[in-house]
Amino acid sequence: MFETLKEMLVSKLKVAPEQVTPEATREDVELDSLAVVELSLLLEKELGLQISDDELLEAPTIRDMADLMAERSASA
Amino acid sequence: MTSGADVAVTGLGLVTPAGCDATRTWAGVLDGRPTAALDPELEGNSVRLSCRVSGFDADALLGARRALRLDPFVRFTLVAAHEAVADAGLDPADWDGARVGVVLGCADGGPGTVETQHRTLLDEGAQRVSPLLLPMQLPNMLAGQTAIEFGATGPNLVVATACASGATAIGTARDLLLLHRCDVVLAGGGEAMITPLVMAGFARMGALSHREGDPATASRPFDAGRDGFVAAEGASVLVLERTSDARARSARIRARVVGYGASADAHHMTSPHPTGAGSEAAVRAALADAGAGTGDVGHVNAHGTSTPLNDLAEGRMIGRLFTDGPVVTSTKGVTGHMLGAAGAVEAALTVLALEKGVVPPTANLSTLDPELDIEVATVPTACPDGLALSNSFGFGGQNAVLALARA
Repeated sequence: MFETLKEMLVSKLKVAPEQVTPEATREDVELDSLAVVELSLLLEKELGLQISDDELLEAPTIRDMADLMAERSASA
Repeated sequence: MTSGADVAVTGLGLVTPAGCDATRTWAGVLDGRPTAALDPELEGNSVRLSCRVSGFDADALLGARRALRLDPFVRFTLVAAHEAVADAGLDPADWDGARVGVVLGCADGGPGTVETQHRTLLDEGAQRVSPLLLPMQLPNMLAGQTAIEFGATGPNLVVATACASGATAIGTARDLLLLHRCDVVLAGGGEAMITPLVMAGFARMGALSHREGDPATASRPFDAGRDGFVAAEGASVLVLERTSDARARSARIRARVVGYGASADAHHMTSPHPTGAGSEAAVRAALADAGAGTGDVGHVNAHGTSTPLNDLAEGRMIGRLFTDGPVVTSTKGVTGHMLGAAGAVEAALTVLALEKGVVPPTANLSTLDPELDIEVATVPTACPDGLALSNSFGFGGQNAVLALARA
C-alpha cells in the first residue's frame, strides 16, 4: 500500500517523490489539513477506501497511513 | 508638487495574452498584434472569442505543488509580482515585511474553480467537493497568497470595482504610501474569468463582440465598426514606493504616479453615463490631485473597451475635456479586455509609453467613429511631453483614473 499511497501523493497532490518515505510525517510531506481532506477524497474516489480525514490526521507517518489503507482494504 | 507627495514605480511585471512578461507584452502591444482567437473551451457558447494567456508554465514558475492549489487568477498575479519585485531590485529576504503592503484588484476571483466544483456537487454529491474550493476562489486570496509568497506582512487587501479594479488598487496603494501606512506596495490586479458560465453571462448582456470573420479583428476600440469587447485574462503588478524613498535608495524610477481620481456614475448597473459625467469627474479629480490641468496631458491610455457605449461616452468626454489633443490609445485592441486586471496592465503600459517615449497603436482601428473628435494612435506614435492618464471604468459605474509622469 505504501507504493500506492506514494503514487497518489506524487501524481495527484504533487508531492516531491523523494520526500515520500515510510518514516516521513505529514509535516515532512507538507500535507496540511486541507490536503488531508483531499487525500481522503482521493482514496475513496480512486480506490474505494473509506478513510476519513480525521483518521488520516491521527496517523503519525506515511507508513501508518499505508497501514490504515491496508487494514481498510482487507475489511472491505 | 514635491517628490515626497508622489510615488514612484520602481518595478513592473506583466502576464498578458501578448506575452508572459513585460518585454514580450510590450513588444506585442507596440507591434499592434491582436491576440483574439476562437477559444476551444467555449465550444458550447454563442460567443467563442477570447484572448488567452499562452505559453504560461505555472508548474515551472511556481512549483507544481504550489500551482496545484492556486486558481489561475492568482498564478498569473504571483508570476507578475515576481517579475516586478526583481525589476525593482528588491530582495524579500532582506526587506522589513511589516512595511510591505499588497493591494490588488480583481473583478471575480476564481469562477473557474467554482464552476468545476459546482459540477462535482451536481454529479457526485456534496461529499466530493474539494476542500480547496474556497481558498482557491475567494477574491481576497489574491493579496493573501501574494503576502505568503513574498513575506509581505503589511496592509493587505483586494479591491473590487469591476473593470476599474486594477486602477483602484494602484490609487489605493498610493494613498497608503502617502499616509505612511507602509513603505513599499505590490499593487495591481489579476483576472482569469473566461469560463463558459461567465462568458454566457457577458454574451446575454450584449457586451461581447460577436464579429464574424477573422477573430483577430474583433477587438477594435473607437472604430466605427466595433460591436463589443473580447474578454481576456492576465495580471500586472507594480512596485510602488514614495519617490523620496526610491531616490534615497538609488532605485531606478520608471515613472511616477502623481494623481488618482475616483468617482461613481450613480446612473445604471452596466451602462456608462451617456455624457461621461462620472468618468469626467474622475479625470478632473486625478488632475487636481496632480496639481495639473487638462492642458498638461500629453497621452491618454483609454479604457476603450470596443463596446459601442463605452467608447462613445469616453471618446466624447476626452474630446470635450482636452482641446490640445493628447495622443489617445486603447491597448485592448491587442490584449482584449482583462477586466479586473485591465487597469493595472494599462498603468504598466502607460509607464512604458512614458519611459520609452512612444504610444503604442490601437489595433484594428481602421475608421474612427465619426461621432468622435479625438486623436487616436493607429501606429506607434511619439509620446508627447506632459502627463499621461490611464482610464479605467467598471460596470456599476465605478471610475478610476491614474495620472502618471516621467521619472
